[in-house]
This record gives sequence, C-alpha cells and structure tokens, in this order.
Amino acid sequence: MSANLAYARPLRNEPSRDADRQHVQQRGAARGRPTHIEIVTTRAQRNARPKLAYSVITIVSLFLIFAGQLLLSIVVSDGAYQLSGLQVQQKDLLRTEQALLEKLQILGSTQHLAANAAHLGMVPGSNPLYLDLSTGAVSSAPGTADPFGCGGGCSVVANSLLTGVPLVDAASAAAQTAALAAQAAAVAPASPQPEALHATAAQSVPIANPDVLPAPLTN
Amino acid sequence: MNTRRARLRISGMVLVVFLMVTVFVVRLVDIQVVRADELNAQSLEKRAQELITYGVRGEIVDAHGAVLADSVERYDITVSPRASLARENAMGVIADGLARIAAVTKQDPDDLMAVILADPASDFEYLTQGVTLDTFRAVDALEIPWVYFELRNGRSYPNGEVAGNLVGFIGTDGPQAGLEYTEDACLASTDGVSIFEKGEDGVRIPGSEVTTREPTNGGTLRLTIDRDLQWWVQQRMEQAAQQLGATWATAVVIRVSDGKLMAVTDYPTVDPNNVNDAPREALGSVAFTTPYEPGSTIKVLTAASLLDAGVVNQSSQILAPYSREFPGAGVISNAFYGPDQLTLAGALVESSNTAIAGFSELLAPEARHDYLAGFGFGEYTEVGFNGESSGTLYPASEWDRRTNYTVQFGQGMTATSVQMASAYQTLANGGVRMPVSLLEGCEWPDGTVTEAPLTEGTRVVSETAARQTVEMMEMVATSSGSAPNLQIPGYRVAVKSGTAEVAEAGGYADNKVVLSYAGMAPAEDPQYAVVVTAGVNDRVFSGRIASTFRDVMAQTLTTFRVPPSTTPSPNLPLTW
Repeated sequence: MSANLAYARPLRNEPSRDADRQHVQQRGAARGRPTHIEIVTTRAQRNARPKLAYSVITIVSLFLIFAGQLLLSIVVSDGAYQLSGLQVQQKDLLRTEQALLEKLQILGSTQHLAANAAHLGMVPGSNPLYLDLSTGAVSSAPGTADPFGCGGGCSVVANSLLTGVPLVDAASAAAQTAALAAQAAAVAPASPQPEALHATAAQSVPIANPDVLPAPLTN
Repeated sequence: MNTRRARLRISGMVLVVFLMVTVFVVRLVDIQVVRADELNAQSLEKRAQELITYGVRGEIVDAHGAVLADSVERYDITVSPRASLARENAMGVIADGLARIAAVTKQDPDDLMAVILADPASDFEYLTQGVTLDTFRAVDALEIPWVYFELRNGRSYPNGEVAGNLVGFIGTDGPQAGLEYTEDACLASTDGVSIFEKGEDGVRIPGSEVTTREPTNGGTLRLTIDRDLQWWVQQRMEQAAQQLGATWATAVVIRVSDGKLMAVTDYPTVDPNNVNDAPREALGSVAFTTPYEPGSTIKVLTAASLLDAGVVNQSSQILAPYSREFPGAGVISNAFYGPDQLTLAGALVESSNTAIAGFSELLAPEARHDYLAGFGFGEYTEVGFNGESSGTLYPASEWDRRTNYTVQFGQGMTATSVQMASAYQTLANGGVRMPVSLLEGCEWPDGTVTEAPLTEGTRVVSETAARQTVEMMEMVATSSGSAPNLQIPGYRVAVKSGTAEVAEAGGYADNKVVLSYAGMAPAEDPQYAVVVTAGVNDRVFSGRIASTFRDVMAQTLTTFRVPPSTTPSPNLPLTW
C-alpha cells in the first residue's frame, strides 16, 4: 500500500545525501526561499491517484439513492392515504349495498307482492293448468281458494316493515315508463356514433320500448 | 516528538474509542434485546389502535332461500351533554341542532332537549337508537360536533308475521324465542379483533395491521318451510279464526315422504319486527308448545292399530247405539244420532264413539298404547322446538277403565298439532313414521352442512293397514255430513274430523271445544298431510272448519304441483 507514496522526512545535513540536497537547494534558490521539501510523485503515482469522477459518481448516486428512497416512502405513505380513503369508500358502499338489499327484501316480501298484485287488479288463479314437458301431458291443479274475495289484499298477515311503503300505482308506473322511454329517446341520438357512415342507419332503428321484450330480427 | 509518546497517545485513543463503543453496545443490547418487548409494547401503545371487527349473525331462510331473518346495520345517535353545554351560546346552538336532528328522526325536539338537560355533566346519552343508514347519513350530514354515532347490529324480518311463530325474535339481551333462540349455536357470530398502527393524523401505517382474531360469521339456517305457502295458510287460518271467534288456531302441512314440515302456522302470530305489540300468547308456536285433547282425529289411528293387529277389517260389524254403558267405564255417547249398525268404515264416517270403544275391546290396552306411542304420542318430536310439549299419553297400566275407551277417540290424552300431523304422515306414508324436521340444516360459510334432518323411518303399522285406513278416510271425505265442503275437484282426499272437549278443573268445559280436521291427498298416493285446528269458546262442531282444511289442502297441492288423481275413490259399505 505504501509503495506508491513517497516517504519523506526533513533532511539533515548528511553527506551521504549530497545529490538530493543539491537538488533541493537548487529549487529553493529558484523561488528565493529557504530550503523546502516537497513530495514529488512519479507519473505512475499520479496516474494511480483516485479520479474526481469516481467520487462525483459515488456522491451523486448516494444522493440519488436517498432521493429515491425519500420519493418511495412518500409514494408509500401517499398510498396509505389512498388505501385508507378507498377503504372508507368501500365500507360506505358495502353499507349502501346492505341497506338496498334490506329494502329489496322488504319490497319482495310476500305481503307486499300480494298486496300489490291485488292492487293492480290481479286475482288468485282458480284453475291453473300445468304442462309436463317430459310427457306433454296437461294437468290441472286445484288453484288458490279465495273465500273472502280479497285475494292478496286481505293483509291479515301483518308486516310492520311495510308501514309507509306505498303500493305501486298503475298510472304513475306507466307515466314513469313513458318518461324513461322519452329520456332514452332524447339521449340516443346525442350519443356519439362510432362512424358517420352508420349514423343514418342507427337513427332509422326505432328506439326499443322498455316494456317490450326485444325480439330478434329474422328473415 | 518521540515515537513512544505517539504510541501511548494512540493507545489511549483506541482505549477511549473502545470504551465508548462498549458503552454503546451495552446500551444497544439493553434496548434491542433485554428491554425490547417492554419498549415495543410501550411504543405500540402510543401508535396502536384496537379495532373490533364484527361477525355477521347468520340468516334464516326458507326452503328456497327466501330470507326470513336477516342481520342489518343500525346506528345509535348519541350526544355529549357536557360538550354541547360547554359551547358559546349553548342553549341556542343546541336548540337549533336538536331541531334539525328531530326533523330527520321524526322526534320531538323537546324530548331530545330533555335528554341533554337530564344529566348536564354526562358525556354519553342516547338521542335515538337503531336508526337506518338513511337517517344516520342525514344526521351525519348536519355535522353537529357534539353528536356521535355508534354502529350496532340489528335484525330484520322482511316477511313480518310470516313464520314469525317459528323464527322467533331477538331482544336487547339476545335471542328470545323460536329458532333464533334454539339454533343460536348455528346463527351466532363471533367478533374479531385487529390491531393497526396509526400515524399522528389517524391514518393507518401501511402494513401495520395485525389481526389477532378473525371474526366468524354465523351459519345460514335453512328451514323446510315454504314461505309463500306459509303466508297463504297463515292468512287462511287467521280468516277462519276470526270467522269462528277462535282464541287460537294452528295449521301444519307436512310432506309425507320425508316428514318435513312445509308450513306450521299459528294464530295469533308475532311480527318479530314489532314484538312489543304482540300478545303474550303469540310469542311462541302453539302448534308445538300447547297440547290439547285431539278428539275424534285419533279414531283413524285406532282403526289402523286394530287393522294392523288383525282383529278387524274394513267391513267388521258392530252395533253402535247413540249411547252405551261399558262395564266399569260408565256411559259413552256419540255426538250425533245416526245408524246403529256400523262397519269399521262406517264408525269413522259417523265418528261414532260407541263403535270405536266397542272395537277397542278387541285389543289389549298395552298393545293399543304401544301403537299410539309408535305414532309419536307422549314423546317430543325430533324438531325439539323451543318450549315444545310432548303431550301426555299415560302408560296403559295407569288408564282407568273409562280412559281405556276414551283414549281411543282422543280424550284422556293430549297431543300437539305437529304430533297429529306426524301421526297422519305415518298413515299416509304406508305406516312408516318419518322423523319430523323443520330444518334442512345449518349451512356454514365453508360449505359444510350440519343439523341435516334425520332420514331413518320407523314402521308403526303395516302397509296394508295404513292403506286400508286411508281408504276408509276417503269415505269420510265422500260420505260424511261435511263432504260437500271437503271436495277438491280432481283429487281424492282422505280426512278425519275431530270435535274435542276441553278438560278443565273437575271435568270438561261446557262451552269450549277444539275443532280439527286432519287428512292427506291424493288418497291413492298421499303426498302431503294437513292438520288444521282451532280452539273456540263456543259449542260448535268440526264441520265449521272443513272448508278451511279443504282450502289449505288445495293450496298445498297447487303450490307443489301435485298431479291429480287418475282413479276413483273406493266405495266401502258403512252400515250392515
């Protein structure tokens, strides 16, 4: 390790080192200063010296690593906030879903369906027929007795959850359907057409009535 | 400078550095190893937040998955009176806030104010409890700083009174009645705990969440009940009960092939959503819990027993006057005057007490007792319903001489509606009694099913005895006085009526009866057995609920699409 470093210490007046002293005295005389010693490196030693570039690279990369780590931790903690926000949102949506499911179950309760059916003028089937698809046989069933003539509208089996839940109104339901259809008609032409060429063709297709099941076009 | 001093100095420095490193190492080991747990705990305490994660109580569903009981999230709105009163211009701010809350929760603002003023130093009072998500969000949006919310798990019964007698309900102290109570082991959930670390602003530190206990959800309890049939039968029975002025009425529909209950209805029935308004007697299921003396519906079981023992056949003859004195047992009378010379079939059609008592003498009491026990009387059914009764069937050795006869026409013993349905299921199923089941099973989140119904049947009477008894019951549907009210076009119906007296202290009540009709259809290959029963405080006869039986049976056949009969009913001789 010490091979490329010059070993020097202050010289004393020793005859054995005459040549060196002469050389030093000459340099000192040239600068007009007293005798002064300086390490002189050989060319090989100079070449072996660490270059500035290396240290710059090291420092810059260290800096980059620190900066990268900092950015990473910023991103991670930002992700934590995002995660926390999304979790809150998820919880909120799950709650909404549950509340809607609860409402759906109440609206789907037998009492509500029966009362609505009666309200819309439906009566229990008195003489249903069944077609057995495997044998093709038609059989009848006794049907639903309605001795009190109120069908599903008797409402003797109470359900307190249905308090304040309105029955469907045929007229307003029809109006709502018409409004939806009109809305659909208004939106459809404004929606962007994939290509201008198809525009006329698309407009000539009648807007489907939401009440009618779509039927395939056949030749 | 001499080398020696330099060396000394270097050594000194090394020593100092070494000592410092030693001190640091000791401290490091002390912190990182020796006191690590203690320090970690301390630091965690500052950052950690314990979070209780709630498990969800299982649903109760009908055979087809329609939800009868469901867990829902509810919210309690709470207030801190101390915090609210500490504000500037407190009374004005509070009055304004409460008025806005009351507008959402539809309460009286003065009541809410009373809550706050009741204990001004308190930090926690309920403004209202158990509100829905919509209300919670509306109140939350008001952003009143001294109002807080608590989540609580509620229970909703979307179908109200439908099967309310079976499902039961949950009170503030947990399950109170019905399957909610007895099947709590299936339905109950356990809460979990997870711990996470939070930063200064309350956001959890990523990756810090540790779940120390997972919450477990309850299982789904699937009943054998058909919700729509249950609703229809419940409605029909309620109409019948109101028409009759009955104090109670039950109906049981049981599937013949496997003993599964399709409908068990009670009048009155609780709406589990609104338990407070229900009368006390509506809180359980009378069909399971309240035995009665069944009366004449037992006669067909007596006939089946005698047929199985080989001591009679369908046309065995007996002289059955309106009343007859039996040795040591006193006088036994019929309800009506009718022909005296009856066959066994005629004895059932005329529902003659004297004829059945006479036929009973052909078989020893012990054997007759064992047949009745075989049909399931005096024993709890396999359902094990909350508060179920086993009814009473005394051992033959304890029968007095009168009971020896009367028990064969359903007095001096008691049974529940479900036991009666099970006995008729036995006759309809060719003499094999299937275990009664109300549960299809408890379905766990991992897909396993527990509490599946028992499937092992026991033979009570021979297939021939059962078939012959059902044939005689068809004669009741075609030839008895109530026959016009029992016809279901296209189907052969087998049925037996019962008008039972009700025992009271010191004898039978003068003006109390239990009316019942029990039967099965289609008679040539019975699929469903139906028992309808009503307790009436009046002197009336079973014919009053014949049409109710017919309607329930017809609805059952329609619901399950039972194909009509293709052969005509037999015509057995009733008299000789």
